[in-house]
Parts: sequence; structure tokens; C-alpha cells
Amino acid sequence: MSTPAAQHAPGLASAEDLAARARGLTKAYGSGETTVLALDSVDVDIVRGRFTAVMGPSGSGKSTLMHCLAGLDTVSAGQVWLGDTEITGLKERELTRLRRDRIGFMFQSFNLIPTLNAVENITLPMDIAGQKPDQKWLDQVIDTLGLRDRLRHRPSQLSGGQQQRVACARALASRPELIFADEPTGNLDSRAGLEVLAFLRQAVDDLGQTVVMVTHDPGAATHSDLVLFLADGRLVDEMERPTAEAVLERMKRFDLIRAQAGAAPEED
Amino acid sequence: MLKATLRSFLAHKGRLLLSALAVVLSVAFVAGSLIFSDTVTRTFDRLFASTSADVTVEPRDDLDSSVPTGAVQTLPAALTGRVAAVDGVSSAHADVSVQNITVVDSANKSVGPTTGAPTIATDWYLTDRSPVELTSGHVPRGAGEAVLDADTADKKHVETGDTLTVMAQPGSFRVEVVGIATFRTTNPGAALVFLDPEVAATRLLGSADLATSVSVEASDGVTDAELKTRIAAALGSGPYDVRTADEQAKSAAENLGGFLDVIKYVMLGFAGIAVLVGVFLIVNTFSMLIAQRTRELGLLRALGADRRQVRRSVLTEALLLGLVGSTVGLAAGIGLAAGLIRLMSAFGMNLNTAEMAIGWVTPVSAYAVGVGVTFVAAYLPARRAATVSPMAALADADVAGVGRPLRVRAMVGAVVGALGVAALTGCVTASETASAASLLGLGVVLTLIATVVAGPLLVRPVIQVLGGAFPALFGPVGRMSQRNALRNPRRTGATAAALMVGLALVGGMSVASASMSKSFDQQIDDTLGADFVIQNTNLTPFSQEVTDRVRATDGVGLVVRQRFAPVAVRLPDGERVKTTAAGYDSQVDEVAHVTYARGDTAAALADGAIAMDVDFAEDHGVRVGSVLPVEFPGERTASFRVGALTDQDAAEGFGMQGGLFFGIATVEKYVPGGQDSVLYVNAAAGTDADRLRPRLERTLDPYPQVQARDQADYKELVHDQIAVLLYLVYALLGLAIVIAVLGVVNTLALSVVERTREIGLLRAIGLSRRQLRRMIRLESVVIAVFGAVLGLALGLVWGVCTQQVLALQGMKALAIPWTTIVAVVVGSAVVGVVAALLPALRASRMNVLTAIAHE
Repeated sequence: MSTPAAQHAPGLASAEDLAARARGLTKAYGSGETTVLALDSVDVDIVRGRFTAVMGPSGSGKSTLMHCLAGLDTVSAGQVWLGDTEITGLKERELTRLRRDRIGFMFQSFNLIPTLNAVENITLPMDIAGQKPDQKWLDQVIDTLGLRDRLRHRPSQLSGGQQQRVACARALASRPELIFADEPTGNLDSRAGLEVLAFLRQAVDDLGQTVVMVTHDPGAATHSDLVLFLADGRLVDEMERPTAEAVLERMKRFDLIRAQAGAAPEED
Repeated sequence: MLKATLRSFLAHKGRLLLSALAVVLSVAFVAGSLIFSDTVTRTFDRLFASTSADVTVEPRDDLDSSVPTGAVQTLPAALTGRVAAVDGVSSAHADVSVQNITVVDSANKSVGPTTGAPTIATDWYLTDRSPVELTSGHVPRGAGEAVLDADTADKKHVETGDTLTVMAQPGSFRVEVVGIATFRTTNPGAALVFLDPEVAATRLLGSADLATSVSVEASDGVTDAELKTRIAAALGSGPYDVRTADEQAKSAAENLGGFLDVIKYVMLGFAGIAVLVGVFLIVNTFSMLIAQRTRELGLLRALGADRRQVRRSVLTEALLLGLVGSTVGLAAGIGLAAGLIRLMSAFGMNLNTAEMAIGWVTPVSAYAVGVGVTFVAAYLPARRAATVSPMAALADADVAGVGRPLRVRAMVGAVVGALGVAALTGCVTASETASAASLLGLGVVLTLIATVVAGPLLVRPVIQVLGGAFPALFGPVGRMSQRNALRNPRRTGATAAALMVGLALVGGMSVASASMSKSFDQQIDDTLGADFVIQNTNLTPFSQEVTDRVRATDGVGLVVRQRFAPVAVRLPDGERVKTTAAGYDSQVDEVAHVTYARGDTAAALADGAIAMDVDFAEDHGVRVGSVLPVEFPGERTASFRVGALTDQDAAEGFGMQGGLFFGIATVEKYVPGGQDSVLYVNAAAGTDADRLRPRLERTLDPYPQVQARDQADYKELVHDQIAVLLYLVYALLGLAIVIAVLGVVNTLALSVVERTREIGLLRAIGLSRRQLRRMIRLESVVIAVFGAVLGLALGLVWGVCTQQVLALQGMKALAIPWTTIVAVVVGSAVVGVVAALLPALRASRMNVLTAIAHE
């Protein structure tokens, strides 16, 4: 179970069940008076075997949260653990190895190396690590994603949806502890987008993976088990087994608060 | 539109830096060589103009020899009296000035220049025009005193009071240095020894009645030209050249010109290479910038800019680059010229950097080259930019740096390549040297163009082979490097082409020179029978003393002398050929194996006989028994009967057209005062050659101007002389490689920028910095090795064809220097690694997050 600390006591879930966790996670840009807090002392737990969505309006810090959890970005204060490993304070080289061996990534676009074909892209993280892929698992992932007849294609020969499926396969291929997906459907038409979301769902349900997805699309968020709402660098809410209406409703409230905040000085 | 262009130029200035550097290098070499040669020319024009007498009378000499003979052209000193009597002459002086001397210090070390500039002994005769003035000591008086120039004294640590030995043609003599003379003008690099005028002629020419020239001063109101006419009339049809000061200065400058021309052409060669290689760099830069800006250009088009405006915008950027590059290059050229002038002073030629001559030609050429090259190189990319459709602005950013099909290149490359191969085939099968050489030149140019044009087509097959082992050796990193190099064949091709040009030249030259060395070795083995050869590296003649002392050395059996004589021979077909003939002692068969087509050595060297190469004879209708009139210096003429025809490989050496030779008595008779140039020495019966060697060396110890060499030493000498040519080529190559490295750096740096997102993605999914650096390094290596392989393959073909042309000249052996070739391939891999250093560092320093978000 993943919780904003504001509402639950930390450690609600036992440590073995957590794929990742952050305490007092703070990320500031700039210095002095121009300091902007992208993340303001966030506590978060990511539970194993679940599909977690992170939502929030633009500028809420949702991408920064993902980058910090994934070891792509440094933190200003606080601690982050991946499993039992504290990743804050790790050296660049250790972080690289951590990303390579224990984390899977999907980005909004430009996910694949154009010079490599589909299967080479899928096995790339393991190739880089010099490890042999688990062929049985790889076959299962490829078949689940329906990529069998596309393996020798270069990215330029694949459609946008197919490209994201290859990216999804790559994220799954090394059986990472945690998969981060940053707006994976952002560049796709709705049909291809739904397909990708279904695959992520399948990865959690059938393959037992842990997925964290950043999105601003309420429709996409409904595929998750739990939605975390971020606003102004803080975790403000969570929603289990979300429905599109509920999420949309919740998001509207942000807009309302923001509009009021914007209007407030005039009322004074 | 201009504003947009300017903004774009400034925005990309970092990416244009290396292109600008290529322009700067080309322009610097062009400007530097022009400034240098202008400065030198002006300095010497001034020197000769200020030191030439109003009118000079010299012995006529229209037979100039490529090989020095040691003979000095003289005129009777009494001529001075006849000249002085001419109306309008204020004074006439009999000059004595010779260069056929060697001057050694008390340790038997030569005090002459080591640069090939002459050692001159002359009479001390101070006028307003003298290039020197006495700065310490006193003027030379009597037979035992001399004044030395200050630069030589300084360089060779000679002081007043030291004793020097002057080895002159009539005999050696010792002098005490009693004074030091300093140049008032530019010192052209020679060593000068001044003797008392009373004794100079006797000491240097062997007779007080001789002189080498007469310097005449005109009376007031008589022009040089007028005086020249009067003197010429007074001397009648005597064998003399009469020149005014202007003519004399020009003639002196021309004599020096040969050496300066070499420097000028070498510099222009550097400029040419820099331009040639720089073009590839600039083409690549503009192509890549335009590829990266496709969307931006599309937007401009969508907003209403027409094709011409887009093209003009790119060309304006090129123009700006050319202007900036030329300006910096011009400044660098001035620096380069200053450096060269300094360098020349290290060799003894003192020029003044403050008097640098910058004519209008220099800046004009600098800007013409800089702007021209940039403009031409940017033209194709600019046209491509103009074809960007407005839709490009709206389309998704496509995969970075993918090329278009290469059909046109394939066609042009195939046609030009076929023509080039045809020319080379023609050259190999040709039997005439002249036509073979021109076909070779044509073939080289055509095959080079074909390879440059078709290079991108060769990228895929060659790199698939070259990088084939990469995936196995370096895993996915290797695979990505290989694929990256294959990604845009046009770009890889152009980058590698820069390296290819230089290496093709080196490949060809090294095959040609190795073949020459091997051929000479074979010839030495085949023809040289002497135990030792005594000569110096420049074939400068030496004094009679050396010959006498060698003859007297214990254990020496036979000494065969060789002398040279400049001649002009009138042939039966009416042609007058000016060449150098050799004279030998009669036992030449003992020291050399000469192959005769007709006749034998005895017939060739008989009194009144001459021998020549059989091919030359056939070409000009000469047969054994033909009687040929031969002119010698000083207008001596005699007729000779052809006694024998030789059939030697390479009978016609440099400047020795026809391979003419006769008995040494003939040379002694018609070129009096000549000196021996080579001695062939055999050990006496019962003396081991190895035992003789130290004795000969002891004999030659006081004569630093000559060395004794056995066959192995002689081969080494020949190799060294061929190597000098190679060093020049290597220097050119060095420059080509520097620019080619810049090209590889440029391509990689721009590729890294272009692939920012890809690099970010790779880093995000776990590629370590080291692996990333290795990926870029391997790509660089594969491009560099590709260029090297292509260049060497081309160079080998050229080299083999060149050898075929040389074979017509008798150099029949083919040698391929595999060690050099392997070293070049390995070296090119190193070049690749070096070129990748900065781009790889830059890529590995990229921030992962900003890289992923990069547009």
C-alpha cells in the first residue's frame, strides 16, 4: 500500500513489500530568493506488485518525483530507497548500474535507439550489463506484447504504438524491481494508448511487475491500482481503484483551488 | 532575413569553430608563403641591387651544369686594363671570387655552412657597395692572413688569431684570421673568406694573371646601359657577358631563386592540402547544420521565405565564416611568415622581420582562397537546404542524420573511376616515359575524384567488414558504434575522405620511394665493383690533394677518377642537347660493370671518343662512328667520334641526359682547372678491404668535405637522399592528418549534439559513461581506419603505377613497404582515438535529464 504520509503513519506496509520509498524528499531549483521547490518534503511508499499512477497539474513535480525515485536526478534533501538500497548519496557509477539492473524505463517519445532493431533494443540493458537475457521470460514478454513478428524491424519501420510496445518490452525484459513510465501514452492515438496501458496492467497482473506511471490523463490513470495526487511539490491525496469520473473530479478541484489562489490577492 | 542569418551564424558559432579553423589554416599557408617569398625577394633584390657594380664583365657561361664540376670560369686580369680604357669608366677592378673551396679549422672541421649555401673565397676590396664592413682586426695583408665574416665566425667559434686551412683548386694553404667582417646587408647564408687582393688570384686561381670578373664604375653622367654598350663594343666578340647593375642583380637573384622557389612551392603545397582537406570539413559542417535545422528552415519556408532566400541565407553564413576565417588566417599567415624568417636566420640567412613585404596580392589571395573555398564547399549543402519543404516544420523530428540515396554519386563515381582506371592501365602499358607520366597524373586525379565521390557507397561494405568483429569484441557498444558509423554514409564518407587524401599520397609515395631504393640497390649491386667510393653527398668536387693522398695511402691498389663537364652536344637530327657528361680513368671496368650494346670501355674512353646511352643515340640518329661537335664552357668546341653505346638501366640520371661519357683526359683538356667529383678505390692485391677502410679514413680525416663509402654505405647514402623527399611528403601528410583529425572531431562533435536524446536515453537505461565514451571512440576509430584503408588502397595502386613509369627509366624493382602501411593503419586507429577524446568527453558529461528532454 502506498500512502501520502500526511494521512497514514509511515511504515504501514512492511519493508519487504516496498519496491521504493522516499522520506522528506525535497528538490529545489535555483538558490536564494529565486528558489523554487519542485518537491517539498515528500514521503512516499511504492508497494511491490502494484500499478501506481502519479497525477497532478503541470508543474506539480510529478516528473521530478519520478526522476528522483529512479536515480536520474539528485535530491536536495531527504532519502530515497530502492528496495533496501538507499540511493541518495550513491555515486554516478552506482546509480547507472542501479538503473541498468534494477529499473525499467518508458518515456513519452524517443524510446528506442534508431540504429538497433526491436529485439536489440529490448535486450539492450542486459547487453550493456553483459548479462544473458532469460530466454523464457523474454519470449513470454515478447508474446504478451505481440511483438514476435516485429523483432527484426528498425524503429523507423514501426508505428508509434509498436515503438512504445517495444519500449515496454525493454522495460520488462530484465525483470526489474520497478518500472517507471513517463507519460507513456502521451504521443499515441487513443487506441494505441489503450493498448499500451493494457500491457502495463498485464505486466502487473500476469507478470507480477511493479509499475509507476506519471500521467496527466485521467483516462490513463484509471488503469492503475492507486493514484497519487501531487500539487505544488506535495502529495495531497490518493485514490484506490480509481474511476475516470472520480479522478477527473479530483483534478478539477485542483484547478478550482488554483483559480481561487490566483484570484485571492484581488479579493484582499 | 539577413537578421535571421546573422542570429543563426552567431548561434552556431561553436559548431562552426572547426570549419573556421580549416579555413584559417589554408589561408595562413597561402598568405604566409606569399609574404615570406615577397620579403625574401625584396630583401635580395635590394642586396644585389646595392652590391652590384655599375657594369660587370664575366666570362660567358651558357652551359650550366646540374652537377658542379669544380672548374672556375676565368678571364684574363689584363682585360681590366682594356675595360678601364673605355671612355666613361671611372674605375675597373679585377675580382677574384671562387666557391670551389673548403675551409677547415685547426680541428679539421669545415667552417662552411651546413645548409648547402656556398663557402666563398674572395679578394678584400672595399667599396661603397661592399656587403660587409670590417668590424674588428685589420684587413688581410700578404699570403698568410684572411678576414672571416662575423656570422660564420660566431657560428663556428672562430676568433681572430685562429688558423684556417683553405683547400683551393691550386692547393691548400693556411691563413691566420686577422679580422672579422660584418654584413651590412642581409647575409644570404654563405661563409666568406677574404684574402689580400695581391695574393688572391694566385692562391685561388693558380695565376696572378686571372680574375673571375671585372667590376666597373661609371663616371658621372654616364648611364649603366650606355657604359655597357661601350664596353661590349670595346671587347668585341670575346667570350664575355657584360651586364648592368640591374641585369646583374636580376641574374644573381635568379640564381638564388631556385632555392626560394622550392620553399614557396612547399608552402603552397601545404596550402593546397589544407584547402583540399578543409573543403571536406566545411561541406560536412554545413550539411550537418542544415540537417539539424530542417524544422527551422521548414518554418522559414512556411512563413513565406522562398527557396532562393533560404539558399542565400545559408550562403551568407558561409560568406561570414569565410570572411572571419580569412581575416584570422591572414593574421596567422603573417605570424607564419615571421616564424619562417626566424627559421631562415637559424640557417644563416638573416632577414629582417620588421621589413616584411605584404603586397596587395597577399590579402587578395587570402580572401579569395578563404571566402572562395568556404563558398564552394557550402554551395551543395545550401542547395539542399533550399529544397526543404514547408512541411518539414510540421513533421515530427525524424531520426537524426539519415542520408538520402546515393544514385547520382554511384553513377558519377563509376564513370570517373572507369576513366581513371583506364588512364592508369594506359600508363602501365605505355612505353614512352612522357606519355606514361601524363597518363599517371590523369589516372591519379580521376581515381581520387572517383573515390571521393563514391566514398559514401563504400562506407557500408567496408565498414561492415572493418567493424564486423566489433559486436563480438565490444558487445552492444561495439554494435552501436559500427551502426552509427554506417548511419549516414555521406557524412562518414566525407569525414574519412579528408584522411584518405593524405594517406593515398603517402601510400603512393612510399611505394614509389621504396621501389626506387630497391632499384638503386640492385643497380649498385649490378654495376658498382669498387671496394670504396670517395665523394661527398652533394657530389661537390674536391681538391687534387685528396686524390693524391688517397693514391698514396698504403694498401690502395687502383683509383679511378670521375669528373663532370657541362656540355652541349649537337646531334645528327639537328637538336642541341645541353647536359652533363662524365669523364673516367681508363680502368673503369675494374670498379664498375658497364654493359655495352656496341663497343667496349676501351673504345668509349679512347682519345677523341665519346660514349652514350643506346636509347638516346637511337632517338637522335647517332651510331657508332658518328662524329659529334661538343661545346664546353668558355666556348671551347671539339668534335668527338662515338666509340661505344651503353645499355645500362638508369643511364640517364638527374641532369645527365644521354648518359654521355669519355676519357678523363678529355675533361682535363677542355675543362681546365676542374676537380675530381668521385674516386673509385680498390684495395691492392693482398690487402683486405676491411683493413684498408681505417687507413682511408685516416687519410681523409683532414678533408671533411669527402667520405669513403663501401657498397653498404653507398646504398645508405642513396636511401637517405630518397628519404629527404619522403620527409617532405610526411610533413604534408602531417598537416593533412591534423586537418583530417579536426574533421573527425567536427563530425563526431556535431553527431553527439545531433544524438543528444539518444545519448540521454542510453544513459537513462544504464549505459555507463565509460561505455558511452567507448562507443564514440570506436565509431571514430572505424571512420579513421576506413579512411586509411581506402587511402592506402588507392595509394598502393598509384605507387605500383608510378613504379611502372619509373621502370621505363630503368628502376625496375617493385617494393611495397608493408611495415609503413601497417604502421599507417595502426596510426590511423590512434588518430581515431585521439579525435574522439573531446566529443566523447562532451557526450559523457551530458546531463541525462536535459538530454532526454532535448529537442
